[in-house]
Amino acid sequence: MIIRKAEYFISEAIGSLKHNRLMALAAVTTMAISLLILGMFFVMVMNINHIASSIESQVQISAYLKDDVDEQQINDVGKRVAGIEGVASVKFVDKETALKIFRERLGENKSILEALGDTNPLPNYFEIRAKDATEVKVIAEKLEQSGDFENIKYGQEIIEQLFRLTKFIRIVGVLVIVFLSLAALFIISNTIRITVFARRREIEIMKYVGATDAFIRWPFVLEGIILGVGGSLIALILLNWTYGTVVEMATRSLTFLPIVPMYPLLTFVNIGIVLIGCGIGAVGSGISIRRFMRV
Amino acid sequence: MIRFENVTKIYAGEQVAMQNISINISRGEFIFLVGPSGAGKSTFMKMIFREEVPTSGKIYINSKCINDMRHEEVPYLRRQLGIVFQDVRLLQNKSIFDNIAFAMKVIESPHGTIKRRVSHVLEMVGLRDRMKSYPRELSGGEQQRVAIARAIVNKPGIVVADEPTGNLDPETSREIVNIFEKINAGGTTVIMATHDKRVVDALLKRVIAIENGIIVRDEAEGSYGYDN
Repeated sequence: MIIRKAEYFISEAIGSLKHNRLMALAAVTTMAISLLILGMFFVMVMNINHIASSIESQVQISAYLKDDVDEQQINDVGKRVAGIEGVASVKFVDKETALKIFRERLGENKSILEALGDTNPLPNYFEIRAKDATEVKVIAEKLEQSGDFENIKYGQEIIEQLFRLTKFIRIVGVLVIVFLSLAALFIISNTIRITVFARRREIEIMKYVGATDAFIRWPFVLEGIILGVGGSLIALILLNWTYGTVVEMATRSLTFLPIVPMYPLLTFVNIGIVLIGCGIGAVGSGISIRRFMRV
Repeated sequence: MIRFENVTKIYAGEQVAMQNISINISRGEFIFLVGPSGAGKSTFMKMIFREEVPTSGKIYINSKCINDMRHEEVPYLRRQLGIVFQDVRLLQNKSIFDNIAFAMKVIESPHGTIKRRVSHVLEMVGLRDRMKSYPRELSGGEQQRVAIARAIVNKPGIVVADEPTGNLDPETSREIVNIFEKINAGGTTVIMATHDKRVVDALLKRVIAIENGIIVRDEAEGSYGYDN
């Protein structure tokens, strides 16, 4: 019974798709483009989040000491700093090491330092890490108040800007996703409406001989789902290929950029795209057939 | 079998299609519904298969009131009815066999039953050898016979036909009516709206005449009663 019904629904849906090939193609294409942009947006937001949190975890406070402190004072300051609430680690860097690090960082341009001669302008400093990135600001303020340091620097502003950016992108992303979903829904429902309209006679007869609404609706809903899945598969292939290329490029030449690995991220995105495609297809056709059911 | 109790139907725009109609139709009756165009015959028919719902009054089919029937129940009401239209309403892209089988498929009848029943009803309307043809290959009368076959394939207790001979010549009309008589002889109630004086006068069946939404005449062995 169920198999016979399914057979009927599938053959009706496929027959109708064949009949309206061009419209079906248009619907699948729009669906694919919408879902592709949707998927790209999602992957982008995930990556920005990832970059933000990886920068966040690297945030440290550099507290520069005055030049005239002796070793004993440095030890005392170090102990005091370690005692501040929320501090995870304290590392002392003397001025010679600082210069070495600086020289390494300059790489090929290290000849600039030769102009300095034997003088070392860099101060001794503490590298302080917070247990939680959100506490960095509070700790930095306490260090400043202590008066032990000449200067205190931390990346809080960059983080805050990054947070603002991710928040903005997330909001824009949601809006774009909603908009694209609605556009896809509209196009699918219009495509189905055309096939429903072409078959309104058939629907009318079905109603007169006592077919239930569900029975009439199924082939059309199935048709919508096929269109949705078709579109989502194209989107998914393009997205996987694009992201694969980006990841490969990034691992080769932009090693410092922390990109989210392809898997499992894309597994979730793929499943999501197919589900959204299915949903839009089903809902879209459901909307368009409702009007023709009132006989 | 069919009972109208003080049924009034007023369409949007205050057009009164039916005024306080009460009537009883028993199982196995053959009824001609006559009257001028726009008198309310179609509304009467549509209310039986619940395409229209009365503004007031009650309609019972097989003792069940269909006024307050839920939307989901309507298909099951219609499975007890066979509906034939003047404009036949066959699906042009389906063969004669498929047109009739379609009516069984959509109520989920088993495959074997469909084959057997379709052959049977085609035999009954005399078109068994045309089952592979398409509607456009048939004459008007033959198409109407297919439509009748489709209406009775699910063995309805009531057949409702809205001017089934409206577009046909007298001889073909007579053939169509013969088929309805045959169906009626099998115990099925037949309600047929018609403008065909010859057909009505020849059969001497119950005639209900409607004018301006009112039953003006209800005779057991009636005649058409209009000049055409």
